[in-house]
Formats: sequence, C-alpha cells, structure tokens
Amino acid sequence: MSAARSLAARQAELVLALVAGGPPPPGFAPGPLAAARAALLRKRAGEVARHWPLLAAGLGGRWPTVFVEWAAGRPTAGGLRDGWDLARTLRARDALPPLGAEELAVREAGLRYDGQQPPRRRRLPAVGRASGAVALQLAGRVRLLRPAR
Amino acid sequence: MTGPHGVGIGWRPEIAGFVAELPGLRFVEVVAETVPIAGPPPAGLVELRERGVTVVPHGVRLSLGGAEPVEPARVAHLATVAELLAAPLVSEHIAFVRAGGLEAGHLLPLPRTREAVDVVCANVARTQAELPVPIALEPIAALFDWPDDELDEAAFLGEILERTGALLLLDIANVHANARNRGTDPLALLDRLPLDRVAYLHVAGGAEHGGFYHDTHTDPVNREVLELLGELCARHRPPAALLERDGHYPPAAELRTELDAVADACGFPVVT
Repeated sequence: MSAARSLAARQAELVLALVAGGPPPPGFAPGPLAAARAALLRKRAGEVARHWPLLAAGLGGRWPTVFVEWAAGRPTAGGLRDGWDLARTLRARDALPPLGAEELAVREAGLRYDGQQPPRRRRLPAVGRASGAVALQLAGRVRLLRPAR
Repeated sequence: MTGPHGVGIGWRPEIAGFVAELPGLRFVEVVAETVPIAGPPPAGLVELRERGVTVVPHGVRLSLGGAEPVEPARVAHLATVAELLAAPLVSEHIAFVRAGGLEAGHLLPLPRTREAVDVVCANVARTQAELPVPIALEPIAALFDWPDDELDEAAFLGEILERTGALLLLDIANVHANARNRGTDPLALLDRLPLDRVAYLHVAGGAEHGGFYHDTHTDPVNREVLELLGELCARHRPPAALLERDGHYPPAAELRTELDAVADACGFPVVT
C-alpha cells in the first residue's frame, strides 16, 4: 500500500512537471523530459485548434507560438475551455484577430461560460460581443450580426 | 464475431467518407471515448458493422497504469461500447494519463518496476472483470524513461501479459520510436516479444523533431517503420495491421497508398 502511494505521488509529480510548470522530478533526464513537455503542448495546440478553428486560422503561422506561450505551465481544461480562455485573454490585450473575435462572439452568444465551470447552453436569447463582432442567439440558433472590426 | 483480419484503418469522423468507400476493408478501430453510449453509435460505424466490418473500441483514457484504481465509470463505458458495436475485443494502453487530479493530455510511460507491473495487472484485472470481451494491451511510445527501471521493455511487457492473460496490441511505430530514441535495437525487442499473442498491429506516421522521433500520427508512415513491419511479419505475421492517422489528413490517394504499403509489407490483400 505504501509502495502504491509512493508511485501515485511520483506520477503526480511527473504530470505536474509536464503540464503545470512543476519542478522536474529528481533523476529524470532533463532533455527528454523537456521534449515531452513541448510535444504535449504541440498536441494540445492541435486539439484547441480543432475546437477553435477560426481563432487558430486568424493567428495563422503565429498560432503555435501564441498558444504555447499562453498554455505553458497552465494545465488543460479541455480544448473548448482552453481556447475560450485564450481568446478572452487575447481580447483583453486587444490582440484577438477578427476571425477569432467572431468565433468568440458566436460562442459567448450560444453558451454561458464563467471561466470556472464547463460552458452551458444558454436557454434565453443572448448577444455575444468580442472586439466589435456581435452575434445573436435565439432559440439555440446563433447568427453573426456584425463582423469584427 | 471474428477478430480483426487483414489491413484496417482507424475510423475517425474526418475520414469517415474515405473509410466507407474502401472496398476490401474488414476491420476498423474507433477511439472508445468518442462513442456515445446514450444514443446510437455514429452512422458511419453502424454502416460498417452492417457490412460485416469488425469494429474494435480503442480506449485512450482508462489510465491502466495509474497508481489509483481505474475509474469504474470509464470501464463501464468501454464495456458498453464493445457491446453496442458487437466488438470481438477492445484495446487500451500500458500507460497512465492522469495523476494528482491533473490530466496529462497524452499517454505517459510507467517506470518499468515490479511495483508498476502490480499496479497495471490490478487495473487490467478490474477492467477484465467488467468487459464482455478480451482486452489487448498496447505498449506506448515514450520520449523519456523513469530513472529507476528494474526491467527491460520485453521483460516488463512479458510479465504483464503473462499475469493478465491479455492479448498484445503491438504498435510497430512505437517500437521504432522507442528504439530510435533510446538507441536500442528494435529487432532485438521483436525477437523477445510473444508475437503469437498479438491480436493486431498498429502502424502510424511520425517525424523527427529536436533530435527525437515523435510518434505524431499526423505525418506519413516512414520507410523504417514499413521495413520493421516487414521484419516483424517475416518472423510471425499477426492476423491484422491497422493504420492510425489522427490529423493533417492527406488527400485520399495518399492515404490509399499508405494502406497499400502496409498491405504490401505484411503480405495482406489490399483493401483499396
């Protein structure tokens, strides 16, 4: 039992180092561990791009770098929420590309997301706005009313 | 229900149309966690089943190597998917994917210790107790090793297979990746694995990046992997080999060429 607990602790330490910026666990070769950390971030960038294709397309060639800079040391909350959190962060910095703003506006109109709990479908009509883009949701159907600036 | 035979392909929604049109196809795999159990399975899979194509649910989130007991709800889901698809077997990985409440987002290697063997065997036994069909276990591609390995890869896998009675899902690209990244001989590993226990093979593409070979599933299958596949089948040919592609899908002609190359390396009939 104590052995199993120690493996549990060591596995937790390793995951913390790989996805949450934790210190490298003792004894592991640093080069391969860094390669694994980078590979996880690249894989995650691909998953988030699948949930947020317009955000990724809007950033174009900068997508992997922008995502990895934001995601390094930040554990995933899943592709949908990761992309949502990143889009809001970029909006706050005035760095959200128009395509990403339109995608964010559409998402904000369709789903309620407080940044903590998983997004939930809105039951009442709602308007989503991001960097000039405006989307309207009525009875579950979302339309982009105005494109981003 | 027959087990997997011949050349198969990983069924993904993005390539469902391509897969549906492969005339000789008798075997696909689906990522088990993507199959809903509340409603009917995806229409593309139902059509394949009606054609008599074998569908194998392939789990990626059980975390059989996690120090905590495998989650019953995840096992129940896998078992239900196997029933829904009338699968002859399911498969999962010898790996862990979460610990301490954090998701790694990928398959992580275990220390090759007796303690880890015990952990895996206990979780496999818990899973087998709920499954309606046999399970095949897949060794993963790892970019790093733990510092305290007591067993080599062949001894580690052999012990797990023997104690669990599970089948082996051998990923030939993972064999290549690990040998390339550890600087070991892939043929030496093949010579020590119980090849008669292989239910089917995985074949996938990868890329060299930063001094490592990465098992990406988004790049073409390289020549060394196909050669290793040929070497393996010359020793003992398993009943089936499955091509995995998980993104950056190439034009249909390229994917057909890859399927033909897998068939050619194994000596299986082409399915295209």
